[in-house]
Amino acid sequence: MMKPEPYVVAENVTFRYPDGTVALRDINLRFAEGDFVALIGQNGSGKTTLSKCLNGLFKPTEGRILVDGLDTRHTSITKMAVRVGYVFQNPDHQLFNSTVWDEIAYGPRNIQLPKAEVEERVREAAEVVGLDESTFEQHPFFLPKGLRQRVAIASILALRPHMIIVDEPTTGQDVKQSLEIMDFLTRLHEERGHIIVIITHDMPIVARYARRTVLMAHSQILADGPTRSVFAQTDVLAEAFVEPPQITQLAQRCADLGFAAGTLSVQEMLEQFRSLAARRRA
Amino acid sequence: MSAVIRFESYTWRYSRTKQPALDAIDLEIEEGAIVGIIGPNGSGKTTLAYSINGLIPRQEMGVRKGKVYVMGREVMAYTPAELCQRVGLVFSDPEAQFTAMTVEDEVVFGMENLGLPIEEIERRLAWVVPLTEIGPLMDKPPYEVSGGQKQRVALASVLAMRPPILVLDEPTTMLDPLGRRRVFQVLERLKREYQSTIIVIEHSLEHLIPLADHMVLLYYGKVLLADETEPFFERLAFLMEHDVFPPGVVEFFYHLKQAGEYPADAPLPLTVEDGTARLRELLGGKG
Repeated sequence: MMKPEPYVVAENVTFRYPDGTVALRDINLRFAEGDFVALIGQNGSGKTTLSKCLNGLFKPTEGRILVDGLDTRHTSITKMAVRVGYVFQNPDHQLFNSTVWDEIAYGPRNIQLPKAEVEERVREAAEVVGLDESTFEQHPFFLPKGLRQRVAIASILALRPHMIIVDEPTTGQDVKQSLEIMDFLTRLHEERGHIIVIITHDMPIVARYARRTVLMAHSQILADGPTRSVFAQTDVLAEAFVEPPQITQLAQRCADLGFAAGTLSVQEMLEQFRSLAARRRA
Repeated sequence: MSAVIRFESYTWRYSRTKQPALDAIDLEIEEGAIVGIIGPNGSGKTTLAYSINGLIPRQEMGVRKGKVYVMGREVMAYTPAELCQRVGLVFSDPEAQFTAMTVEDEVVFGMENLGLPIEEIERRLAWVVPLTEIGPLMDKPPYEVSGGQKQRVALASVLAMRPPILVLDEPTTMLDPLGRRRVFQVLERLKREYQSTIIVIEHSLEHLIPLADHMVLLYYGKVLLADETEPFFERLAFLMEHDVFPPGVVEFFYHLKQAGEYPADAPLPLTVEDGTARLRELLGGKG
């Protein structure tokens, strides 16, 4: 099997803010086709700075990032925006137009697409996120948060970026809304081939949806791999002040009884319990 | 135990909507209890909080029926000043409550309004600042600190007024896991050391459950279930039908119980520690 060519390659990336604060230190990271990644770590660990470097808003102070073969240091924001989209944590920090239509059309107009193409992109993006026509003339500000988030995602999708980074997609949502948003991102990933990166503190969501997890702490990457094996590294998680989901913690505390440290779901836990219990009876 | 808050067939409908946000609510909250209020967004959780501190009906247009008693008196019978000495509300959007130019002024503002002497203000600052870990922020404008820090500042400024009843509307949404744990540790201390009555509206059940004495499920304007925390989660199938998803340990033992693999009369463990101990017993001794 051929290994897919990475879409994003970050090499020895260091980022320093003008005041001298180092927010990223020697980051090496790749994102490839088929990736659905959770980026986790404490507030201030560098997750958002990394995202802004990946979409070219920030340029690395040292090292380089190649996106689709283009070096972000020498690539226009316009070219970057159609490759890597970043959805803000708080949709209100991103939305500024007075109608849903104008909000979604803003990006395509900005890259000077012809009018018919803009319209097609807006309709398509709205349909993908499940916004119906009745919302087009509404003011985004007056929509419920879940819908505002969809408008924010649609306005990014309208630029058709191959990779989409969503910052805290489930914050302020109830559990059902969180699952709906994550199912929606999964559909974008599976049906339309987008590379998806979510930044989140919600570990049960990570366990359920992200195949790969990148753990950051102190401006560096502490772990990067399949979610199951990252969650199994209890020492590294503790160093980053990250607690895996409850069910994973339970399995880890009972590892000596035969439970796998990388247990990700209640279902997996029940299956292990039953086979261990059967073995004890035998 | 006496009820420090009592809703009696309380209904509130906002003028702008047809359906009541809260519909014939009967609910009692005991003094000194920590009560978790859960339910989908749009179920009336924030409306319930505003109805306790009097923002409803004072600041909202709508139709009110029934009664809400706070410490034995109807909410409408209090002046706003009297009520805010009894009920402290931490908003889900901390910026909504900020008025001052520095974090320190923000925390002091409420105490000054209570007319506290300077020595008492200083005493309370010395207590609340380390408790909420806002020391390094004191000179900064409250709207310039990070989301998680804003939530801690909002909490500090309400705690400084030492209200006997504390209502927190999603106090940890912007916090990372460590910050979240810290907030719940603060609540635990308040309960233990000051016997505060604390009402927490929260989606993240993992930290709430070990702390909460009672749980209330609000579902589109109705109280569908209110009970002590452990029996509340014995109704897991019912809860899941109403979009409540429990932490993994509770769900795991619930399934074991359903399948007869965990004693029917044993309580569901509510923490990882409890769950670990029960699991070791089930699989035979210390393993």
